[in-house]
Amino acid sequence: MGLLTILKKMKQKEREMRLLMLGLDNAGKTTILKKFNGEDVSTISPTLGFNIKTLEHRGFKLNIWDVGGQKSLRSYWRNYFESTDGLVWVVDSADRLRLEDCRQELSSLLQEERLAGATLLVFANKQDLPGALSKEAIREAMALDGIKSHHWCIIGCSAVTGENLLAGVDWLLDDIAARIFTTD
Amino acid sequence: MDATHEVSREPGGFAGESGADKIQERLQKRHQARAEDAERRKEAKESMSVAEEKGEYFSTSFNTERASIEELLSSCSGADRAVVTPRLEEATAKTLQLQKFLNDSMLFLTQYELRRAQAALQKLQSSIVEIREEAQPRKKFTFRARTKATDKVSDAPSPEADTPADSGGNKVDGAAESVQCRFSDLDNVCLTKTAEEIQKRDVLLTHLSNCKVRLFGSPSTLHLKHIDSCEILCGPVSSSVFIDHCTNSTLAMPCQQLRTHNTTDTKVYLHVTSRAIIEDCHGVSFAPFSWSYPTLEEDFDLSGLDRDRNNWSQVDDFNWLAAGTHSPNWTVIPEADRKTTWDP
Ligand SMILES: Nc1nc2c(ncn2[C@@H]2O[C@H](COP(=O)(O)OP(=O)(O)OP(=O)(O)O)[C@@H](O)[C@H]2O)c(=O)[nH]1
Ligand SMILES: [Mg+2]
Repeated sequence: MGLLTILKKMKQKEREMRLLMLGLDNAGKTTILKKFNGEDVSTISPTLGFNIKTLEHRGFKLNIWDVGGQKSLRSYWRNYFESTDGLVWVVDSADRLRLEDCRQELSSLLQEERLAGATLLVFANKQDLPGALSKEAIREAMALDGIKSHHWCIIGCSAVTGENLLAGVDWLLDDIAARIFTTD
Repeated sequence: MDATHEVSREPGGFAGESGADKIQERLQKRHQARAEDAERRKEAKESMSVAEEKGEYFSTSFNTERASIEELLSSCSGADRAVVTPRLEEATAKTLQLQKFLNDSMLFLTQYELRRAQAALQKLQSSIVEIREEAQPRKKFTFRARTKATDKVSDAPSPEADTPADSGGNKVDGAAESVQCRFSDLDNVCLTKTAEEIQKRDVLLTHLSNCKVRLFGSPSTLHLKHIDSCEILCGPVSSSVFIDHCTNSTLAMPCQQLRTHNTTDTKVYLHVTSRAIIEDCHGVSFAPFSWSYPTLEEDFDLSGLDRDRNNWSQVDDFNWLAAGTHSPNWTVIPEADRKTTWDP
């Protein structure tokens, strides 16, 4: 049995996953995290550093890292890349002015070697707003169809209503599980 | 979700010690069995010497790295937040890497070495959590005594922030028109939006100078960009207000979050239910929201904002994260100087 197989087996035993949630400031990352965890979302402040939440879902132990997206924090993102199984990229679907910014940040992340193995879930967040772009529009604006390096999926959601958060996380878990936990 | 809890240690390779230990023991047994096999195949000497070499390499590298993380952590004690935050991030990342190194090395480590390394890592992880908790901003800030000393700042000449072109704005601006309320490229006029025009939409104000703007109703988000010498008053915003490249202006709004960038010499009369932040700002001053209009109460209800929770004086400066000293970039407007009456 090779080292990789043993590591795989260990992970399988623990069924532990590390998810990294990134996106521009105001995208709704912290709101998604708290909503998913059943917490109050009305008092969330812009994130000054990062939040970590460990939670059990479908028998998996999820370590979710939510890192602040303000400009001055983006240079720290790389500190969190190591051992990431799933990358959750959160987009504010109503923020048309910064879609291009958003696309560029994502595309440079996908070039990161340390994220090379990670599955990508794009949350087109804030679908509850009348001015939100559809997930198809976001898919186009983010040039997702050009991504060949990662498994990816885009899901329209709302952190405020909770709509589709579970669907997104479930897709992500299934994709990661198929990759990491398959028995040899 | 079956159960949830805040993390109490950094996630690394192992979930809990007992589970991890079992696995380690099993791995170790497996390793021993393999070593015996190898012996039988008369490769014993070779493989043992390799293992020893690796083991030595492991402990040297592990201990060096551990010492450097410990040094980082001990340099955090007593330091202010501006210093602690990046150091903590570095220590967190390094610890994760060390865990990975241990995971990758466990095949050739003895049980004793493994246990010791795991214990050392756990100690590092809990120190990080401890320091992180200590470095969290305290719930309540008070700035009473400091307003005088920092008053000067608002008189300082405003270093004109450079204004990079908005990337990608044009492509989607057209589409935005239909769903967004906006005013742009106007000088010296009075502008109003009614509650009916605004209801739950995004409101965008760009390139305005010398304007008086009144926004009644409850927008979902408010964007102010390139604003010069304006007075902008707005009803309760249900999520965030963005201010970017604003100078010499007076603003008033209730909101859930305020995110201020590249702004100078601007007064903000604020009701914010979480916290306000500033980034790359100078001479921004704050006072409690004091504008009123006949349907304000209704709009508050519509916005879902808590009327009784106003953290207008809790401002985080992303360029100044020191816990002990007040940011030179913002001040509280002294009570005597606050505007209490507003033109219609
Ligand atoms: N209407 C609506 N508002 C949302 C949604 N998700 C988040 N928001 C609002 O958007 C604002 C920003 O949300 P946060 O969760 O703080 O954003 P963030 O991505 O964590 O931002 P940083 O911490 O600065 O990186 C808040 O006012 C939220 O209430 C959503 O699905 N719908
Ligand atoms: Mg956040």
